[in-house]
Amino acid sequence: MSDPLDEPETTATHPANGLDDVVHQRVRLGILTIAHEARRVEFGFLRTQLALTAGNLSQHLGVLESAGLIEVEKGYAGRRARTWITLTRAGQAALAEEIARLKQLIVRVETADGR
Amino acid sequence: MTTHPVAAGGDPHRLLAQVRHLARRVRVAQRVTWLPLLVLAAVTFAAVPAHRYGWQVTCVPVADGELCHGRNLVLIVYWQVATAVAYVAIAYGYLRSARARGLGGRVMPYVVTGIALNVLVQVVALLIANEGWGMPEGLERADGLAMFLTRLIDWGPAIGVALLVLAWLERHLALLLFTAGYLAVLLVPVNFGWGTHWGGNWQFLPPLVIQGVVLLLGGLGFALAQRPWQHR
Repeated sequence: MSDPLDEPETTATHPANGLDDVVHQRVRLGILTIAHEARRVEFGFLRTQLALTAGNLSQHLGVLESAGLIEVEKGYAGRRARTWITLTRAGQAALAEEIARLKQLIVRVETADGR
Repeated sequence: MTTHPVAAGGDPHRLLAQVRHLARRVRVAQRVTWLPLLVLAAVTFAAVPAHRYGWQVTCVPVADGELCHGRNLVLIVYWQVATAVAYVAIAYGYLRSARARGLGGRVMPYVVTGIALNVLVQVVALLIANEGWGMPEGLERADGLAMFLTRLIDWGPAIGVALLVLAWLERHLALLLFTAGYLAVLLVPVNFGWGTHWGGNWQFLPPLVIQGVVLLLGGLGFALAQRPWQHR
């Protein structure tokens, strides 16, 4: 009798195949995580926490905004321009999905190592 | 260009560790734990006049003298208004502080819980004051349990239960431990006999002062730990 774990993994079952390239990236995952925890986060906080230049952060924000995962709101605090980032529902779902996939990957790797 | 090398994809362990690390940093940056503790300590100390001078005693003549009934509506109104104002001030302070750091806030469930528990305590206090509702019969036989119940349905424990919600929201172990200690001080029916011979209706003072001092010390402790003046 064959063990299902010994069978070659199909593309449909391996968690790595469900990873979203937009989210499965260190900086963009960090942006989504911070925006999720903070409810709303300012550009400067993201730049400091992720240790990025303004230009590089803007590029990543552009990718996430184009994918509909975040909303970017520009405004002023006194005379100072401020950019606030909020996670959309799609962003919440994508973050939850990514974390679930990462956990599945870890379990799969650890199971494979244990055999 | 980036100041960090950013690899597409990455080790799942490291990515998850990064997620947890960043989430924790955000939660720590959002904390203003000293604010509710100090505000609620002030509310507690300011309640002393209402506790002492708010009593209204109504006496009716009976066959062998007078039957007197006392109730303190001033106290009920004071706690209702003062805690509602306090929670609104706490919400404002939290959100203002978080905004100054470039973050949103996660304080609203705490504020809503605090106000809702306060309303619940007020309703129960009014029912007890007007109807004698909920008081166990045979009080002398169930002394420990009765003391526990009367202490539980009070403004002090309501503050503590709301603080448990805040500790959960902030995933704040130190606040959880502090709140557990605070609730233990309020709920464990220990009577040192303080105030029993003071006269002049000052018996309420020791537990109220203990509650206020615990909140005050907690607020000062968290302020020293979180150093809010360094974020300005």
